[in-house]
Amino acid sequence: MAEVILKGISKSFGETRAVSNLDLIIADGECVVLLGPTGAGKTTTLRLIAGLERADSGRITIGGYDVAQEAPAGRDVAFVFQQYSLYPHLSVYENLAFPLRSPARRLGKDEIDRRVRDVARMVRIDHKLENRSTRLSGGEMQRVAIGRALVRRPSIFLMDEPLSSLDAKLRAELRLELKRIQKELGATLLYVTHDQIEAMTMADRIGILAEGRLVQIGTPRDIYSNPANTHVAARLGQPHINLIPVDVLPDGRAPAGTRTVGARTEHLEISLGGNANAQIDWVEHLGDQNHLHIRVGDCKLITLANPYLPVKPGDKIGLALKNPLYFGADGNRMY
Amino acid sequence: MPKFRKETQVTSVTDTSSSILGKAAQATPAPLASRIRGISDRTMAWLFITPAIVLLLAINIFPLIWAVYLSFTNYRANRPNAPLENVGLSNYSRVLSDPNIWQAMQTTAHFVFWTIFLQTLIGFSLAYLIDRKFRGHAFWTTVILVPMMLSPAVVGNFWRFLYQPQIGLFNYIVSFLTGIPPSSFEMLGSVQLSPWAIIIVDTWMWTPYVMLICLAGLRSIPDYIYEAAEVDRASLWRQFWSITLPMALPFIMLAVLFRGIENFKMFDMVTLLTGGGPGSTTEVASITLKREAFESWRTGRASAFAIILFVAVFGLANIYVKALNKVKQR
Repeated sequence: MAEVILKGISKSFGETRAVSNLDLIIADGECVVLLGPTGAGKTTTLRLIAGLERADSGRITIGGYDVAQEAPAGRDVAFVFQQYSLYPHLSVYENLAFPLRSPARRLGKDEIDRRVRDVARMVRIDHKLENRSTRLSGGEMQRVAIGRALVRRPSIFLMDEPLSSLDAKLRAELRLELKRIQKELGATLLYVTHDQIEAMTMADRIGILAEGRLVQIGTPRDIYSNPANTHVAARLGQPHINLIPVDVLPDGRAPAGTRTVGARTEHLEISLGGNANAQIDWVEHLGDQNHLHIRVGDCKLITLANPYLPVKPGDKIGLALKNPLYFGADGNRMY
Repeated sequence: MPKFRKETQVTSVTDTSSSILGKAAQATPAPLASRIRGISDRTMAWLFITPAIVLLLAINIFPLIWAVYLSFTNYRANRPNAPLENVGLSNYSRVLSDPNIWQAMQTTAHFVFWTIFLQTLIGFSLAYLIDRKFRGHAFWTTVILVPMMLSPAVVGNFWRFLYQPQIGLFNYIVSFLTGIPPSSFEMLGSVQLSPWAIIIVDTWMWTPYVMLICLAGLRSIPDYIYEAAEVDRASLWRQFWSITLPMALPFIMLAVLFRGIENFKMFDMVTLLTGGGPGSTTEVASITLKREAFESWRTGRASAFAIILFVAVFGLANIYVKALNKVKQR
């Protein structure tokens, strides 16, 4: 495992600027998750580190070595692709052994066998080692793909939305397992996703990407409670943060110049009876909690509520802000 | 040949269907229109495929059955009124004990082996080279495909000129490269060279076809598999042997099957270039068959020979397709 440093990395595809002037340090043994919408440059960043793309400018060092001139094979990275990138005509065992059979490694047969079986146990695929890789379910295929990365013990693991093609239940399962494995191995991991739950649960630090730029990087807690701008605020939280004009729910505490107020569930207080300034449009029952769709003037808000809160569509309620986030005209946070 | 058959089927189906629909639309009184609208999907399906089936029966299945029947008789097509006699299996036993026919079968096998070998080797190599997206690769793909688009008659006559000992370009180039005088060898007239003359022409004409199928195979391999292999430190050599070749193999096998079946009945090129000669050095099975049927007029025996060929090709193709399916399922 090694420290990976990106300094001033830029990459364009024709007219499109995929990554621009990106600085990022991934500490040895750290799990950094890059979060952002499609086209934000997450995958390109990974591919640049792996050497599958060449940066237009900037430096990439892995473990202190500048790898700019190295081909992917020379960079000692492992990559898990979004698609199940297994070698279809090989068995699970052969897929896992494939990277170890590289002549550059010169591993003995017994050593290969030991490592393959270790990793197979780790990703819980050891009962299907002899199966053809095309005869596996989606979850199993992705386990093998992850196993094939783990078997190498590279400087850094690069994972490009490895769980996005799985169903929700499997995703939750593998997410936990990946985090466990990463901790167990003390692996340096750069993980790309657009799923905020994966980001929140797996990351030591989350980096928010937008239009090829790293907007903010910090611990999940930090990113959630202290977003630098409206874009970052909108990436985390379920339901989405409510971004409303400052004059809709005046609380008298907004700093001068505030244009937008960001209010998550914990920033909203509902009172029944008394001064009604809002109306319930719709109630979605989720079982353990309810989604309330609220209208204040022309503005629509969504918040969570206790399922026993006695409200129904059409009810008038009182809505007040409680320490919300304030953003200026440029979208940046106001303090 | 099969191409023609397919076209006739298609046109006949559209003709019939359009005439049915046309009639229905052309202000036919209500009862018929509603009856046509009331036709079940199944009936409609049958209506659509019946013309094709009738044609298939008339020009494919019936002649085949008729040939089977004739193969047990002493029928001669130039004497249609002679009394027909059932001769049992004697046509078959004569064919199988005829050394000329065995000779022709050997010649055919020789042709099939070498044309497939060369076409697969060159075709796959070309496909592998052209699969890289270099500048103008679309243009070169088209250029390579040109021989395949020509008519065999044109190609045959063309190469007869190229093979001319005195003025032929082929002889000239060989002499340029090796120093042998151009008129010192005759590609089409020599016992040793004439089989190769035909193999060269067939390879020239049909390698593009094999290349096209192989190219489809190579294009079907997703990029990320190669990227994964690259990150896994597999050399280009290893990527070729453990990814490219195994994943393109079903396509290569398919190309071999198509070319194999086609070349088992190779007729046009041989007729145009050598007519089976010199002597009988290039007399492949289909030429022998034609001689039996339309020069010796032994229709019964020719039918028996045709049936034997048919069974042999059919059997081999079936075994091969089983193997192909096994490879595909892997």
